[in-house]
Amino acid sequence: MSAVLSWAGDDDGLPTQALVHPSRSRARRSQPGELPPEIEQAIWRGCDLGAQAGEVVSSGFAALDAELPGGGWPCQSIAEVLSPQPSVLEWRVIGPALRAIVAAGRKVVVVGPPKTPHLPGLRHSGIDEKHLVWVRADTPAERLWCTEQLVKSGACGALVAWLPQARPEQIRRLQVCAQACEGPVFLFRPAAAQHEASAASLRVMATFALDWEIQVHVLKRRGPTHEGLVRLRSVPGGLEAVLTPRLQMPSRLIATREGAPRDGTHYAPARPTLSEGAARPEVHEAAVHALGGATPSARARRRATVR
Amino acid sequence: MLWAALLLPPGPDGAPPSDEALRGVATWALQFTPRVATSEEAVLLELEASARLFGGKRALRDRILQEGADQGVSALAWATNSLAAHLLARAGIENGFKRPLEELLDALPMRALTAVAPHEGILSRLGCRTLGDVRRLPRGGVSRRFDKLLLGALDRAYGLQPEAHVWVDLPETFDARLELMSRVEMAPALLFGARRLLLQMCGWLAARHSGTTAFTLKWAHDVMRSKEAGQGGEITIRTAEPSRNLEHLCRLLAEHLAKTELKAPVGELWLHATEVVSLDEKSASLLPDEAQQGESLQLVLERIAARLGPDRVLRPVLTEDHRLEWMQMWQPVPMPRPRKAAEPINMPQPTWVLPTPLKLATRGHRPLYQGVLHLLTGPHRVEGGWWHRLGEGCDATTGHVQRDYWVALSEHAGVLWIYQERLASEETAWYLHGVFA
Repeated sequence: MSAVLSWAGDDDGLPTQALVHPSRSRARRSQPGELPPEIEQAIWRGCDLGAQAGEVVSSGFAALDAELPGGGWPCQSIAEVLSPQPSVLEWRVIGPALRAIVAAGRKVVVVGPPKTPHLPGLRHSGIDEKHLVWVRADTPAERLWCTEQLVKSGACGALVAWLPQARPEQIRRLQVCAQACEGPVFLFRPAAAQHEASAASLRVMATFALDWEIQVHVLKRRGPTHEGLVRLRSVPGGLEAVLTPRLQMPSRLIATREGAPRDGTHYAPARPTLSEGAARPEVHEAAVHALGGATPSARARRRATVR
Repeated sequence: MLWAALLLPPGPDGAPPSDEALRGVATWALQFTPRVATSEEAVLLELEASARLFGGKRALRDRILQEGADQGVSALAWATNSLAAHLLARAGIENGFKRPLEELLDALPMRALTAVAPHEGILSRLGCRTLGDVRRLPRGGVSRRFDKLLLGALDRAYGLQPEAHVWVDLPETFDARLELMSRVEMAPALLFGARRLLLQMCGWLAARHSGTTAFTLKWAHDVMRSKEAGQGGEITIRTAEPSRNLEHLCRLLAEHLAKTELKAPVGELWLHATEVVSLDEKSASLLPDEAQQGESLQLVLERIAARLGPDRVLRPVLTEDHRLEWMQMWQPVPMPRPRKAAEPINMPQPTWVLPTPLKLATRGHRPLYQGVLHLLTGPHRVEGGWWHRLGEGCDATTGHVQRDYWVALSEHAGVLWIYQERLASEETAWYLHGVFA
């Protein structure tokens, strides 16, 4: 059944191939043990990614899209994003996908986030004030109820909910409701939830890495198990504009600092810029200017803090 | 002609249904057709011209049957004229088109026709049992022996004489009353009675091509109540956009009733449409357009706000301020947005902020938050706000800040937005204020 479905979904690849090699297929038909190409095309193998039943929204990361069935976050289904800590990388993971949704004029509804969303920062991932709604649901029961109501209505462009305490049967209920929902539904849950069963059709584990990266491991998807990590470069909140070449690899920077430990006075408030501030003042100044006009020049600042 | 007769059940003591009940059902029925009349215990509707608008006769009949049952209608019948429909409804026959009308009417007992009642004794002694028997009597004799009304009613029922009706007018304002079957002690249980009133109101709104933005439900306490309970209570429910969607109004009312406490058992309900505005209907399109399957986002958010409270469903508004706390405010969704949008800031900003900055411990002048923080870039100086008064009276302070913001990196907590309060040397401290997530 799934073979037929995936064949039907693959509408441009199949007919051309069938047209290109008609002669070869006839030639091969004689060989025993091998299938003609058109039949081979129709077979879904366990190592192929499954097709997503509904539409998908591109995640904005090509490497991640390649690992997700259908090539993006699923609509009409629940996507669970697990992370070891809340409020560390949520907007970095789903921000590029939300940009496309907001650009299409649809609203993003946020249910029960762990901290206050900050719009000036979210503007860097394309979310503007007209398209963001924050539902301040505090107790687990309220969060679950609001999420279910919003999923059932299917009216929001994207639903982002934090349900750390949801039980598997509640997730299953949401998943069933979500089949009528047009936009993607993201549930953020703690990493401990990976040991529970879940009815969500897609589960990913997202972790944070130092070098402006997030690492995503797909725990569950329609298709073969995912091995390894997908490393995605993402610089949050408009920091891209102020990153100097040295800051592109913070892990290397930290390693050099840790490797040559200095006395604590080095990190005194008078000189909080660490070694590169003294060694390469031009790098630091560039960072200061890029951050905005409110900062005085580096020399003036030094004078002020020496007092 | 397609006539429907809706029969209302008699009162508990066998009395005919009150004028009020008839008027309520007639008001609800006015959404289907302007030709609505009342006669004795029935509401009569002429629906020939409306069948197509409501999706065909079958769909119209199903809808009237279902909504009518909610209104307390006990019997429904269809026929080519109103009197025949009325007689069939009394006899419990729904479809007057199944067989020829004469055949159906002839079989009915003669007391189904009200005009027979004064002469029932004589007619039964003449050997008449059914309407057919009465009809077969010689006309000349009947007109001399009995009064003119009997023959007239017979002729009208069989469609030989035209009927004249006094149509029910659509009231200018909606105000309906309902006496509950039994005393209700819990507020959510009022919904059962209120639903019937809401159904009438939705019918009235549909007939006026309007929607409501506010309606009031009042209740009167039972006479056997304690002194401090008072006469009764009321709640007013407001919606952001005009609506006459029964389900939505019912859910909103249920959310509000769930939070209401009754001080005494309730015997009576009133429903009043407080604010009515005209509502543009979407025209039915030939081509399938992007129809909204579920309810709109506005309605869901309204329902969530009704349960959680209006200050818990929020949307952001940017303000022109460079201090992180006052850079944005959150306001309830229905509130209008300021006309002039603030200039967006294009500097790096965190995506989460803490409601109050978290003071960080330090080790050797280095801030700690889940391990030692590594300062990446900064400082970004934010200063000012002495003009911003917070609080009232003697404990008023200003929103003055003197801060150097830094982007800090933690191996566990991600990219953070921390600041150092620029005060005299002993009082400096590091605070965590936001997360670049």
